[in-house]
Amino acid sequence: MATGGSGVAGEAELLAFADAALYAGNSLAAARRAVAARLGDQAMIDAAAVIAGFDAITRVADGSGIPLEPPKAEATAEWRARLGIDDYWRRKV
Amino acid sequence: MRPELAHALDTAWQALGRPGVWWTGSERLHILSETRAARRCALCRQRKTALSPHSVAGRHDAATGLRSDAIEAIHRIVSDPGRLSEGWYRRTIQSGLSDGAYVELLAVVAITTAVDTFDRACGAPLRAAPATVSGEPTRRRPARAQTRQGWIPNLAPEYLTAHDPPLYSAAGRIGGNVHRALSLVPEAMMQFWDMFETMYLPQHAMRDFGREYRAIAHAQIEMLAARVAVLNQCVY
Repeated sequence: MATGGSGVAGEAELLAFADAALYAGNSLAAARRAVAARLGDQAMIDAAAVIAGFDAITRVADGSGIPLEPPKAEATAEWRARLGIDDYWRRKV
Repeated sequence: MRPELAHALDTAWQALGRPGVWWTGSERLHILSETRAARRCALCRQRKTALSPHSVAGRHDAATGLRSDAIEAIHRIVSDPGRLSEGWYRRTIQSGLSDGAYVELLAVVAITTAVDTFDRACGAPLRAAPATVSGEPTRRRPARAQTRQGWIPNLAPEYLTAHDPPLYSAAGRIGGNVHRALSLVPEAMMQFWDMFETMYLPQHAMRDFGREYRAIAHAQIEMLAARVAVLNQCVY
């Protein structure tokens, strides 16, 4: 998956850590070391906590079918329609 | 590691072995074991790569004697959450698994996933299952739970009674849809959210951009959250 350009400190290292933690076991140790080297050990642990927490809460959301809250739905309506995300939701069976 | 993070993870983990609302402690630990087994399940791997998960029949590589609809639910939530649907949920409930039992199962899967992913990411071995605590489930359903958002009945803040646990007010939660998702089983909701808010951020800190609460900044946190949501194909 593409990385770069957000201006977030340690972007490449953090995104590689997330990818490895979820799907690429062989590269996980290197990704973990890269985050610790760039941002520090505590940052690596807090990044791991966010990755793990969202690995769980995405399952809560998708396992319960909750919709966006109305203010979020209104704020994102234009670009959700442009990207076709609403069609994806409707076609799930 | 922040002491409160270690404490929150351990507290949620130990609670998995205690009786819940719809499952015994032993059954909750079977859900834990099945959550781990789903990551090695050949049928789940085949379905994940299929155009439709419904096009691949077979049996899950189960690790427990849980009822088959529970095993199907656990394996699908673990292996292919982005393609869960209301139709799939309705079929699961029609098979005999109650909506309360499903919600508690979902919470146990989520806590197991959070703790295991954290340990794996940090390079730590997966934890041993907690001790089983004997006892019966309470089987208490919130009196005013109704289906208002999503597929499952939930307990919105304005419908709380004096008999319900303080699942929103105890932690300053606004009661957004994602909070309500597990609220049919308030105890399970609180176990998950007490852990999750320590891993991510509590409600009051999410938009407090004048202060950083973690060793990574708000922008780094939200970037990671978005990446994981994309990887898991989370529609919400």
